[in-house]
Amino acid sequence: MDCLQILPKIQAKLITGENVIAIYEVVLMEGWVKTSRILSLVENASSYGFFVFNFIRNLDAISEVVINYAFPINNEFKINVDFEENSDISLTITFHKVKLLFEMMSCEKTKNFISELHRISEMSSKKENFLDFAWLSKYMNEATLSRSEEDNFQNHEANGQIEDTQVNTDLFVPRHSIARGTTPIAGRESAVRYQMTLKENDYTYTQSIRIFVGTWNVNGQAPSCSLSDWLNVDPEPPDIYAIGFQELDLSKEAFLFNDSPREEEWLAAVINSLHHKGKYRKIVLIRLVGMMLIIFVKEQHAAYIRGVATDTVGTGIMGKLGNKGGVSVRLDIHNTSLCFVNAHLAAHVEEYERRNQDYRDICSRISFPKFLPPKTIKDHDQIYWFGDLNYRITELDASTVKRLIETNSYDAILIYDQLKQNFKAERVFEKYKEGRITFKPTYKYDTGSDEWDTSEKNRAPAWCDRILWKGDRIQQICYRSHPSLKISDHKPVSALFNSEIRVIDAVKYRKIHEEVMKKLDKLENEFLPQVMVDTTEIIFDKVCFLEAQNKDLIIANTGQVPVQFEFIKKLDDSSYCKDWLHIEPYMGFIMPGEKCDVKLEVYVDKRSAYELNSGKDKLYDILVLHLEGGKDIFITVTGTYIYSCFGMSLDVLSRINIPVREVAKEELIMLEKNNDYRLGDPYPVPKEIWYLVDHLYRNGMKQQHLFEQPGLHSELLQIRDWLDTGVPEQMRIFQ
Amino acid sequence: MSAPPYSYSYIFKYIIIGDMGVGKSCLLHQFTEKKFMSDCPHTIGVEFGTRIIEVCGQQIKLQIWDTAGQERFRAVTRSYYRGAAGALMVYDTTRRSTYNHLSSWLTDTRNLTNSSTVIFLIGNKSDLKDQRDVAYEEAKQFADENGLMFVEASAKTGDNVEEAFVETAKKIFQRIQDGRLDLNATESGVQHKPSQPGRTTLTDQSPKNTCTC
Repeated sequence: MDCLQILPKIQAKLITGENVIAIYEVVLMEGWVKTSRILSLVENASSYGFFVFNFIRNLDAISEVVINYAFPINNEFKINVDFEENSDISLTITFHKVKLLFEMMSCEKTKNFISELHRISEMSSKKENFLDFAWLSKYMNEATLSRSEEDNFQNHEANGQIEDTQVNTDLFVPRHSIARGTTPIAGRESAVRYQMTLKENDYTYTQSIRIFVGTWNVNGQAPSCSLSDWLNVDPEPPDIYAIGFQELDLSKEAFLFNDSPREEEWLAAVINSLHHKGKYRKIVLIRLVGMMLIIFVKEQHAAYIRGVATDTVGTGIMGKLGNKGGVSVRLDIHNTSLCFVNAHLAAHVEEYERRNQDYRDICSRISFPKFLPPKTIKDHDQIYWFGDLNYRITELDASTVKRLIETNSYDAILIYDQLKQNFKAERVFEKYKEGRITFKPTYKYDTGSDEWDTSEKNRAPAWCDRILWKGDRIQQICYRSHPSLKISDHKPVSALFNSEIRVIDAVKYRKIHEEVMKKLDKLENEFLPQVMVDTTEIIFDKVCFLEAQNKDLIIANTGQVPVQFEFIKKLDDSSYCKDWLHIEPYMGFIMPGEKCDVKLEVYVDKRSAYELNSGKDKLYDILVLHLEGGKDIFITVTGTYIYSCFGMSLDVLSRINIPVREVAKEELIMLEKNNDYRLGDPYPVPKEIWYLVDHLYRNGMKQQHLFEQPGLHSELLQIRDWLDTGVPEQMRIFQ
Repeated sequence: MSAPPYSYSYIFKYIIIGDMGVGKSCLLHQFTEKKFMSDCPHTIGVEFGTRIIEVCGQQIKLQIWDTAGQERFRAVTRSYYRGAAGALMVYDTTRRSTYNHLSSWLTDTRNLTNSSTVIFLIGNKSDLKDQRDVAYEEAKQFADENGLMFVEASAKTGDNVEEAFVETAKKIFQRIQDGRLDLNATESGVQHKPSQPGRTTLTDQSPKNTCTC
């Protein structure tokens, strides 16, 4: 499509200040069909709208564009991209309850469009609170209106009565629109994918799993004690462990070369301390300097874990190095995607802004490039974010804090917790949740004790070590610290979650998949092109040399889709019909309910006359009328050729002493085949030549321009009949 | 999220051949629609049907070409044998002449398809027991001698129809796995993993060339 042509039409739909920054033509999957749409990204005062335009094509030009959907690109706006090698890219846009699936060609332009969309979405999600989407509401209304009109129209035409669209969308096939040829039936792959996505709830069920999340800043210490008091305290074993460490190794080697013997030591310590009732398998371990994250799952789940990927981001020195930052693991368990982030944010009491910034940097820079386009943290069903987030207590002095802790008045202190404050102001961890804190601050202790830090700094104790989550169907069962582990100046923290994941029911999946396939089979056969022809036998009674005869063949499209027909060649033939036949048109396009008259003309010229006379050919042909994507119909064409001296060899003519028309067909063939065969005494000159020359000599000598200008066709036919029937009197008219 | 394969992974081309009136179109209709066509007109041309079946855990799309049985079209229908992975050769158990012509149909099939094409012999109209004109044992012997698969079936009752189509597909699939059927051969009649699925493929499968006249 010509962008230059479409851009002004789209811009005309908008008002000043609203700028189209990208347009792209895509295919929208709806029900069982796909239609062309134009996607457009529109900017207004740094807020962006995602528009889907329908368009009406008149001949080649776009005559009108209609807003089909308009969404603000905000936190409710979700993008998902499926990419398979050598196949189209499918883009799923979810906004509230609306889910749209687009097919895009796999090319550079598509990738640019999608990455632009991602960039805008990313940007918008960061500063959503400052964005005003009010300008979009009029377009959203317009879109709703245009869609309801379309639905009414379609329901009406599909059923002749209004039915509940909710129930009907799944089975709805816009027959009218398919019949007009405007809506191709969706490619099988995409139709199946779309239908299966729609029906996801029918073939998946939810299953609760326990996820144990632990975090500990170990202050560079070696694991000199058992970790059981942290990792093995619940009555039942969790299904998944996500265990994060910070300051695993404070050595220069770890910092400079990301190389640490501590990794192995702590891994071993963890493995030894996992729940005694569970058998676990390590899925992955990822470390950046002192930040390490290990994921274990119960043996029985291992087979259902897919798409494991990791990434690390340093936000420390120069904003890049790994003394601070985050490490992340993503994976799919059954049909649910999980993302774990273990972070160590900027230190120092007053640096909460920097911590907020570190959070945002980790959000934007963590990426899992094994997916195309890469998935980021927010592209997951469930996110667990934990670590030494380093938020402190401000505006309360250390002694007050310590006094309040004595009386377990944590809520009174938490009012001054920087994370709670920034969270409330929606400056960090937007849409995340944190459980109620009912445990003592986890920092800072004198190492090896439960005593608060006695150093000169005399800092207020704080809940530096936190666990947050985001996503539906996650229930926190407990949130606690484990003060008996004393080797660090931090206490470990853990949380236990009851998380619901979606599991594919293989039996139901098969059943639903089969239903979809059956429906598609049925549709595919139903939408095969169908035509009726008024006859399959075309008979020409008497066909004479150089005399054209016509018959009509009517092809009526009785099916539900437009038909492209064509007469095609048979196996070894060089043409789709014999030389003496002409078909006009030999290919064409018929809309449903319409018909096409095909003219068949038989015309025997001197070349085909010879073939017919000699018995090499006869007036008989079977034409193959092929419907593109469908069946073939055989049309038999026959005729009786009235033999003529034209197209016969002079030799044969000289061996015939009666008019050609009186000679039986079999005899003519014998005459051609056999040089000795003759009817009567042979003439030295064929009598037809003699007649012609004699006639010219007697009557034509004074004719001007004799042999220079061609004779009349009607005269030619008369001469033919005269020569073939041998009735010389008829020649008088030429005198 | 990834799930089991969504759609078919193979396309097999079938042809149905045999004398006029043996029930070729009815067999196709019974297979694709699960219905019997009681007053089926003579096929003048080649009908087309499609269905997806599952064989050995694989989704396979069958593209079935049902040819005209009239003798006068014989020369034309020969165009359609090319590139068939399966050939269903049908006779009428109540008309001996249709059985007697099998050797000529078999000759055509052998000449016009490749060596890996699976040929399945179907004795149709098995429901008309009192009109039987060809004994099961006789046809079975013919099938065995010529290395054909064989069943007696009824397009009317649906008896053995599904089996004939599915067993043919199983055999083809087995030949793919054995390596006897070369997927890369241009006229194997099998397509693996269509890159352009659906109707486009269907057209591409058409055994004819477009005319440039």
